[in-house]
Amino acid sequence: MVEYKGTREAFTQAITELAAENEQVVFVSADSLKAMRATSFAEKYPDRYIEVGIAEQNSVGVSAGLASAGLMPFVGTYAGFITMRACEQVRTFVAYPHLNVKLVGINGGIFSGEREGVTHQFFEDLAIMRAMPDVTILVPADAHQMYHAVKAAALIDGPVYIRAGSGREHIVYEADTPFEVGKIRVLKKYGNDVALFANGFILNRAVEAARILNESNIKVTLVDVPTLKPLDESGIQAILADCKAAVTVEDHNVIGGLGDAISMTSTKYCPVFMERVGLQDVFPSSGGPEEVLDRYGISIQDIVNAVKNVYKMKRGI
Amino acid sequence: MNVENDIKQLQTIANQIRLDIMKMVYEAKDGHPGPAFSIADLITTLYFKEMKIDPQNPRWEDRDRFILSKGHACPALYSALARKGYFSMDELFGLRKLGSMLQGHPDMNKTPGIDITSGSLGNGLSMAVGMAIAAKYRKKSYYTYVAMGDGEIQEGLVWEAAMCASKYKLNNLIAFVDHNGWQSGGSVHDVSGLLPVLPKWQAFNWDCQVIDGHDFEQIIQAIAQAKKSTDKPSMIILKTIKGKGLSFMENDNSWHKRVPTAEQMEQAITILGGE
Repeated sequence: MVEYKGTREAFTQAITELAAENEQVVFVSADSLKAMRATSFAEKYPDRYIEVGIAEQNSVGVSAGLASAGLMPFVGTYAGFITMRACEQVRTFVAYPHLNVKLVGINGGIFSGEREGVTHQFFEDLAIMRAMPDVTILVPADAHQMYHAVKAAALIDGPVYIRAGSGREHIVYEADTPFEVGKIRVLKKYGNDVALFANGFILNRAVEAARILNESNIKVTLVDVPTLKPLDESGIQAILADCKAAVTVEDHNVIGGLGDAISMTSTKYCPVFMERVGLQDVFPSSGGPEEVLDRYGISIQDIVNAVKNVYKMKRGI
Repeated sequence: MNVENDIKQLQTIANQIRLDIMKMVYEAKDGHPGPAFSIADLITTLYFKEMKIDPQNPRWEDRDRFILSKGHACPALYSALARKGYFSMDELFGLRKLGSMLQGHPDMNKTPGIDITSGSLGNGLSMAVGMAIAAKYRKKSYYTYVAMGDGEIQEGLVWEAAMCASKYKLNNLIAFVDHNGWQSGGSVHDVSGLLPVLPKWQAFNWDCQVIDGHDFEQIIQAIAQAKKSTDKPSMIILKTIKGKGLSFMENDNSWHKRVPTAEQMEQAITILGGE
């Protein structure tokens, strides 16, 4: 049984294996080698570890240049420094020219940013990336899925953003469950009272909420949405048509992320009552990883309550 | 062919390119003639004398690369590419029009011969560093050339890239600053306190030269000198005149972005020797 301490170690394992198979694979660091837990990669492949220092815009610009010359750079650093500080470089010089650059953002969500506070808690990254045409966005739920997501990203010819954590991630999946790009995955079908869509490192909370709801006789369909873009619209449409009520759960601002994505699909194909569990458009604060989720609207109870609410609306109560 | 003839020929081509720029901007009713004129002699030298390229195979992986980081000057580059045979001269008059291969700023996927998308200022050097590192890693002998404006080196990213280039001892990277002293809003020093330029690059540990950016012999010699570098990236600061080549345009910053009148077009044709 494969075991990783977290998504960052899984990333390093995957990129090290990719590098052995493909000499185009290089790692670009913005003084983020340790933060990415990628020191072993740098030791094994010193000429494929490109260190630009604390200069994220440059890390993305250099990666665009590397990709234009036939390499497959993986840039790894804090999610917000890639998507906010280097936003224009990602948009104009990676996404627009469709260069084969893989962006890996750690500390995704308040759960991963936790004690560091708002400067290092990133809950806008997915909204920013969704707004750019032509970028594949992967949101693995745990270290196992992270490993497979990195491997899957290497098979995509073009820009990919992968959200990673900070070592707090709970294991939800079996080690050998593949990461299927562009597909939702039904994790548990208790029934069709409410569709519960979730992704990322709070998926374990959605699993637990679904179990609790089942005990109080509300039967949900629990769905992981590991590819935020391109979205599995037909898969989501079928679930919405079956359940006719939905709750989304994300470790992200409720603006721009999973909630918006499901809502867009719903309004286009199958309007249903919906509620969004996530950071409620406020700046959070420092705290333990589980504590900040509980404090800022992403507790198991918040999920349970949201499902109960939409279920009532569905039944017209 | 001797050096004198070479230079005479480059001068002729540069005049043709300048006239193309005027015609393109006139036809498009939009564009940046002054900045394009300023860099036209460098682009002429690179494409018609220095660079190892194959217009029939624009993505040839061993080719020399050029990044026009000051992408708004692209009419000069488009003209050079068309005259090298990357695409038909007729394409030039599609500049900035819907459906044209010639975007308002260079686009690597729409225009054959453009090595990388560029034009939002301050980004070219960073991508050039990536290309040069890739050459080292892949053991390729190509050179990466990049032209920046003196206005755009106010962007912080330029200096992140400058540091990175010297860290990686990129002697296969040759950068130029088109130092005409002007930017959109006025003189570079008044707007930003930019001066002096040379010591900044020296402080970042680059091999530096300052030359007349309209003197072909000096450009050729400076590039030859830069290629002798063993462990440093090269900076060639081009002392230039914005609008160089048409007396009514020279050092008049209103030509940063401006469309010539029919009368000015006639003058341009007379001065630059076209039909």
